[in-house]
Amino acid sequence: MTYFMSDTWYQIVRHVRTDIRIPVWLFVNIVQPMLWLLLFTQIFKSTMEAQGVNYVQHFSPAVIVMTVMFGSVWSGMGLLMDIEKGVLSKMLATPVSRMSIILARVTGSMVMLIVQALIIFGIALILGLNIATGVPGVIYTLFLITLLGFGFAGLSCGLALLFRRQETLIAVINFIALPVMFLTSSFVPSRFLPRWIDTIRQLNPVEYAISGVRSVVTDSWIWDDQWKALLVLSLWMLAGIAFGTLMFRKRGEN
Amino acid sequence: MSMIETDKLTKVFKGNVRAVDGVDFEVKEGEIFGFLGPNGAGKTTTIKMLNTLIAPTSGSAKVAGYDIEKQATDVRATIGYVAQDVGVDEHSTGKENLTLYGHFYHLNKATINQRIKEIFELVDLVGYEKKMVKTYSGGMRKRLDLAMGLIHNPKLVFMDEPTTGLDPQTRAKIWEYIRKMTSELGITIFLTTHYLEEADQLCNRVAIIDLGKIIATGTPSDLKSAIGGDVITLSPDKGDEATRPQFIADVQKVLEGESFAQRIQPAEEELAVYVNNAKTAAPAIMRILADKGIDVETLTISHPSLDDVFLKYTGKTIRHQEGKESSFTDIARRSEREK
Repeated sequence: MTYFMSDTWYQIVRHVRTDIRIPVWLFVNIVQPMLWLLLFTQIFKSTMEAQGVNYVQHFSPAVIVMTVMFGSVWSGMGLLMDIEKGVLSKMLATPVSRMSIILARVTGSMVMLIVQALIIFGIALILGLNIATGVPGVIYTLFLITLLGFGFAGLSCGLALLFRRQETLIAVINFIALPVMFLTSSFVPSRFLPRWIDTIRQLNPVEYAISGVRSVVTDSWIWDDQWKALLVLSLWMLAGIAFGTLMFRKRGEN
Repeated sequence: MSMIETDKLTKVFKGNVRAVDGVDFEVKEGEIFGFLGPNGAGKTTTIKMLNTLIAPTSGSAKVAGYDIEKQATDVRATIGYVAQDVGVDEHSTGKENLTLYGHFYHLNKATINQRIKEIFELVDLVGYEKKMVKTYSGGMRKRLDLAMGLIHNPKLVFMDEPTTGLDPQTRAKIWEYIRKMTSELGITIFLTTHYLEEADQLCNRVAIIDLGKIIATGTPSDLKSAIGGDVITLSPDKGDEATRPQFIADVQKVLEGESFAQRIQPAEEELAVYVNNAKTAAPAIMRILADKGIDVETLTISHPSLDDVFLKYTGKTIRHQEGKESSFTDIARRSEREK
C-alpha cells in the first residue's frame, strides 16, 4: 500500500513532465479554451441576450466542463502509445503496483485540466463573469470537474485496452464525445431545447457537472441541486475507474 | 544453485496453439543460457511466463527460488527484463527513465543516483544522462533499455532477442556488455536468439527450441561435436527452383551407401553430407556425381554449426526459417500435431 502511493506519485510526475515538454501541446491546451469562450460568446451573444440570457454567465461553466471532458477523454491514447512502444510490458516486469498505472495516468491528465479551468475562470472574469460563491465556489468547481475527468479518463483507458488500436479508439471517442457535448445545456439554456434532448440531457453526467458548476457560479449554494451533481459524478468517477482498472487486469498484462 | 528451473512449462493460446509445449530446463547461477530457435518457436512466450507477464496454462517454474505464479512480486523484484522492443520513454531523459525504474524497485534516491552513475559507465552512455531519449540513436536506445534492466542489481536478466535488428557494431557492443554483466557483476543471463553465431559465441549452454518443444540442450561445442567430422553442403543450380527437390532426391540416392557418408540430411534448398574427413570425401562426391551426370552448383565444406544441430533434429535450417514468414506454417503444424 505504501508502494502503491509512491508508485502512483512517480508516474504522475512522469506524465505531467512529458506533457508540458511538448510546447505545441501546451500552447493548444491553453489557447483552445480561450478561443471557445471568445468565439461562442461572440456568436451567440446577441441572439441569447435578446432572449434575456447573460451568455458569459451561461456559457463559461460549460466551457470549463467541456475542456475537462475533451482533455480527459483522450487519456487512453497515451496508454496505447506505451503499449505499442513496449513501455508498458517493460514496466509490468517490475514490482510496480498494477493499480497505480491507470490511476497515475488518470490523475496526470487532470493536473493540466485544473490549470486550464483556472485560466478559463480568469478570462471569463475579464469578460464580465460574476462568481456568486466566490473562491469556495471555484474550489468546489475544481472538485466537480475532477470527478467528471476521472470518470472520462478511466473510460478512455478502458476503451483503449478493449480495442488496442489507436484508429479504433479515435473513431469511438469522436463518436461518443461530440453527441455527449451537444446533449447538454452547454450552448443554450434547457428551456430552448426540444423535449427529447431535454430528457436525454438528464441522463448525461456532463450535464450534472455543467448545471452544478453553473449553479454555484450564477446562483449560490443550492444543496438540492448539488447533492444530485455530487452523487451522479461520484458514481461516474467510480464507474470509469473501475472499468479502466478492470480492463487493465483483463487485457493489460500481455 | 539453479537460477531457473521449469517443470513441464506449457502455454496454450486461443485456437489450441501450443506455443510452449511442456519444456523442462535448468539454468545455473552465473551462466549465459541461450534459447535458440526460429521465429515462432516459443522463445518469447517462455520468457514472458518466466518474468510473470503471462501465466502458464500448465506446468510450473521457479525463478531464483521463487514460484512464478505464487511469488510473482518476489520474482519481479529479483529479475531484469530487456524486451525485444526498446521500451524507453522518448520524451524523458536517460536519467529520468532510469530514476523512474529505480523507484519502481523501491530504491532510495542515493542508491538510484549511485547505480545510474555505474550503469551509464557500463553501457558507455556517460554524458548523455540529461539528453532526451528522442535524440538518442537506435543503438543508444538499446543500451539505455539494457541499463534499465540493471538498475536494481538483479540476479538474473532476461533478454529477448537482444541484438535483433542491430547493426554489427552495436551487436558486438551488446555482446561485450552481456559478457561484462556475468563476469564483473555475476548476473545470470537468459537470452533468446535466432542467430546461431550469437548462441555459439556468447552462451555457456543452449537449448534448441522448435515448435514449442526443446529438442536438444548442451554446451554449443558438445552439441556440435555430437554431429562429428565435417559437413559438405551441396546445392543445385540456384536459378531453377523446380528441379531442386529432384536434385536433392537424386543426390541422396546416389550417395547413400557410400562408406564416407556417415549421414545424409536433405533440407529445403540443399543437402548436407556428414563425413569424417572432407578432404578425401569431397573429391569422391564430385566424381560420383559427375559419373551420374548430376550438376552441382556449389559445394561448401564446413565444421558442424548449431544450424547443423538444428537440421539434424528438425530436418530444416534456422537460416531457411528466418527468410520466410514461419509463423503460419508453424501454427498450422502445431495444431496439426495437436489433433
